[in-house]
Amino acid sequence: MKVLDYFKKITLYSLLVAGILITGCKDDDPPEPENELEVITDVKLVFTNDADATDVVEVSAQDPDGEGVRELVILDEINLDVDKSYTLTFEIFNNLESPGEDIGDEIAEEDDEHQLFFSFSNDAFTDPDGDGNIDNASDPLNYNDRDGNGNPLGLSTSWTTASSTLSGGSFTARLQHQPDIKTSTSGATDGDTDFDLQFVLNIQ
Amino acid sequence: MKKYIIILLLFTVNATINAQHVDSCSYELKGVILDVDTKEPLPYVSLNVKGTQHSLLTDINGVFHIDKLCNKSNTLVISCLGYCDTTCQHFYEHSQKPFIYLKKEVSDLEGVTITAERRRKEEEGTASISQQSINKEVLFVNPTQSLAAAMSEIEGVTFTSNGNNVQLPVIHGLYGNRVLILNNGIKHGFQNWGTDHAPEINVSTANRVTVVKGAAGVRYGPEALGGAIIVASDPLYLNEPFKLAIGTGYQTNGRGYFVNSEISQGLKKWSYHLGANYTRIGDRNAPDYSLTNSGKAEKSINGGLRYHLDNFDFKVYYSYLNQNLALLSSSIGNSGTAIVRAINSTEPVVIDEFSYGINEPNQLVQHHFGKIEMDWRYADDAKLTFKLGGQLNKREEYDVRRNADLPIIDLNLFTTDYQLEWKHPDWFQLDGLIGLQVFTQNNDNNPGTGTTPFIPNYNTFRNSVFVIESLKRNKGTFEVGLRLDYEYNNVRGRETNQDVFRDKYSFINLTSSLGYIRHFSENYTFRTNLATAWRTPNMAELYSFGQQNFKTSFGLLRYYTNEESELRTDRVVGLRESDISPEKGYKWINEWKVHKKSNTYVLTAYANYIENFTFSRPLAVIGTIRGPMPVFIYDQADALFTGMDFSWQIEWSSSIDGTLGISYLWSKNLKKNEPIINQPPITMSYQLGWKVPLFWKVKSSQISLKPSYTFRQFQAPRTIRPEELIDGSVVITPASEIFDFKDAPTGYFLFDAAWRLKLNRLDVNFSIQNVFNTGYRNYLNEMRYFANEPGINFLFTINYFFNFKTN
Repeated sequence: MKVLDYFKKITLYSLLVAGILITGCKDDDPPEPENELEVITDVKLVFTNDADATDVVEVSAQDPDGEGVRELVILDEINLDVDKSYTLTFEIFNNLESPGEDIGDEIAEEDDEHQLFFSFSNDAFTDPDGDGNIDNASDPLNYNDRDGNGNPLGLSTSWTTASSTLSGGSFTARLQHQPDIKTSTSGATDGDTDFDLQFVLNIQ
Repeated sequence: MKKYIIILLLFTVNATINAQHVDSCSYELKGVILDVDTKEPLPYVSLNVKGTQHSLLTDINGVFHIDKLCNKSNTLVISCLGYCDTTCQHFYEHSQKPFIYLKKEVSDLEGVTITAERRRKEEEGTASISQQSINKEVLFVNPTQSLAAAMSEIEGVTFTSNGNNVQLPVIHGLYGNRVLILNNGIKHGFQNWGTDHAPEINVSTANRVTVVKGAAGVRYGPEALGGAIIVASDPLYLNEPFKLAIGTGYQTNGRGYFVNSEISQGLKKWSYHLGANYTRIGDRNAPDYSLTNSGKAEKSINGGLRYHLDNFDFKVYYSYLNQNLALLSSSIGNSGTAIVRAINSTEPVVIDEFSYGINEPNQLVQHHFGKIEMDWRYADDAKLTFKLGGQLNKREEYDVRRNADLPIIDLNLFTTDYQLEWKHPDWFQLDGLIGLQVFTQNNDNNPGTGTTPFIPNYNTFRNSVFVIESLKRNKGTFEVGLRLDYEYNNVRGRETNQDVFRDKYSFINLTSSLGYIRHFSENYTFRTNLATAWRTPNMAELYSFGQQNFKTSFGLLRYYTNEESELRTDRVVGLRESDISPEKGYKWINEWKVHKKSNTYVLTAYANYIENFTFSRPLAVIGTIRGPMPVFIYDQADALFTGMDFSWQIEWSSSIDGTLGISYLWSKNLKKNEPIINQPPITMSYQLGWKVPLFWKVKSSQISLKPSYTFRQFQAPRTIRPEELIDGSVVITPASEIFDFKDAPTGYFLFDAAWRLKLNRLDVNFSIQNVFNTGYRNYLNEMRYFANEPGINFLFTINYFFNFKTN
């Protein structure tokens, strides 16, 4: 393989010449680190009892490698008490970076482009009643927060559980990103989905 | 050592001549043969009128006179003995027009025009490979189309697209960086990966575009595995009067308009050329709805300068192109549910009013191209050429996302080329070309995208040496080529947690080519070529990670199987520890060309076997925080592509001619015995041209009609609807057979019509595309999942040529 060695040598010489001619070739830098704004790895739903701030029910979903091939894991079931009022809030993070990036802050800043929609087992709650607003955006839901245009956001919502128990029901929270799309009538299929998570709902 | 140049002459005769005799053998033809470059007369050129006994030599002033001709239409065979051998070669390399220029110094035959050039002009060093060209005459009629769409007029060439603006040429089923695009003799340096990056070349700036259908890797380097597309700009002829051409036009679909302008002049030693273009198109329309966000804005300038000094020729060329291309709004679906909805909807999910506006998703690209070329013709049959090319490609891509104002991809790619070629003197009857090439590419991510780079930073160096020799033996010519490439890559990227990964790897590869051309007679030519080619998988195939458009994909080095046989994507595999190998292709291509009276048949048959063919295939549907997502991985397999192209041109009469074209391709992944996705279906077309009788001041008028039929792709993979994967009714694993989300679209019939008129210096073209406003989807367009192709389009183009005589 002497010929090939010789050829390699020629290549190296010519690279040297090329390197002198082009300054751009010398750099050996990796891309700058980016503040990853797109990935969400952890979503936590926090139900706080309105009558007792120490009574908190937290459920989490985690996609440990973000965009990678590992499956999403729903870590908990939602276990609520009958006949109680709760406020639901969210903790949304990208934990691929350390420290984790709080995506919830970003959503709150871009409140006119985002809305949370919910669906749940029919009549699991007395308020809102029905099965949520994913199927029909005008169905009842108690939003506690609004964007600058007076449209609902949903990072904080109010819930009153029914007096009858429920086992193995479902509760879905979907965050839609709706740039220039969000209006008073836009629904859960408009825009793109930032997260769409289904939990098991039990009411005892 | 004769070189034949056959020029078909058509001329009209004054009525006074017709009145003379009963036998009409009274036509005569006079002319002067001149050097196209210097306008010097060429003496002692031998002429022969095909099918007759008439043959003679031009005199010392290049003048010839043939009389007693019996036909109005004659084919003139011009053969250059001795003197012309090298001269022809000279023209052959420099000029795009017929190599010999006939001065129309004819008293009684004022309508002598060269209407067809029968001799192929092969690209140097690829003579034994089937190839076809399209000239400026045809290209400037529709300057709003993409390079790839213009090339698809040629049998065996089609295009794959991502909407209406991003179109990539496909040669015999291969595309992307398996088809090399040579712009002005330099490889076009752009982000050539995926199906959503088209070459940034404006067709209206091209003087001629040639498609080489075989593996031309020996001559042009790796990546010419499937073929090459060669774009040539203004030839910069000397001794040409000052010319100014202005063109403009309007198209109804997308309410598009454009302006082109060009000036050129050739002095005794100097010549120059300058051009500028502007194109704007808004949202296109499918027959039943608007294709929201499908417009484009494009501006370009280009200029060339030539200095001729005895045996030396210097050329400098620069071009700049700026594009803003919109991608269909409805094609975005970043969640499983959104994708299901978009794919299952019969209409696009976003339909708005017409607008010229370009919103996300869109691509902003700027391409600078510069070249210096020097020729030294130190002997009659020998030449040294040095080319130096530099290109800067800046690409920003925007996507619908929380940070839509930041580009999601922001890359600078700097490419340099150094080429030294020696056309050596004849040596034991061997005619040959020896070349050295150094190629470098430097890709950098610009910070500030707010997301992990999809493509790493990298530097590529390639050093190559090649030899192509041809040997003539009687009626046959042998062509042999060898090439050695050494390629080195240095890659630096980021993981999603922003950790740095680095890799360095190199390859050495030998490419070879063996060809034979046989001219059985003047009317029957056979050429065959067997060539090998190679290419390294591109950066996207190796390193892509995550979502781009509606696909989440993982490159060859981004996934591995862990000890529990689970697929993992949490680290980047080094190339040397992986089992990834470069692609190696073996293509055998044959062409038979028969010219019989008024019929011309061309049949091209080929087989292309590719080892380690790299492709993207569906892997699974994986739960993500956004819901279930279909995931794709890149994989390698051995594949076979075989097929044929056929064209049959008939001159029905002196004013009507027709061309039938058929393309057929069969392909298979031999390793898994399954189909290959996104392969061109069978197509058939018939182009009918009618030279309309002249009226008023009209100098030429031609109507052309083109019906065409594209069949459904019967070799498409099976269909699994995304909802079947999401609800779990169909389970797929990495070992499963390949599938697609939607059936291949049904076959469709299209009808195009055009009328072209020439009035003195005015060239007017009126064409209607998709006359019947057919709603159809194209299997090779990624947007076929979401929307129909554009409907009827009326295109009106007008070009005016100012000519200033200098005396």
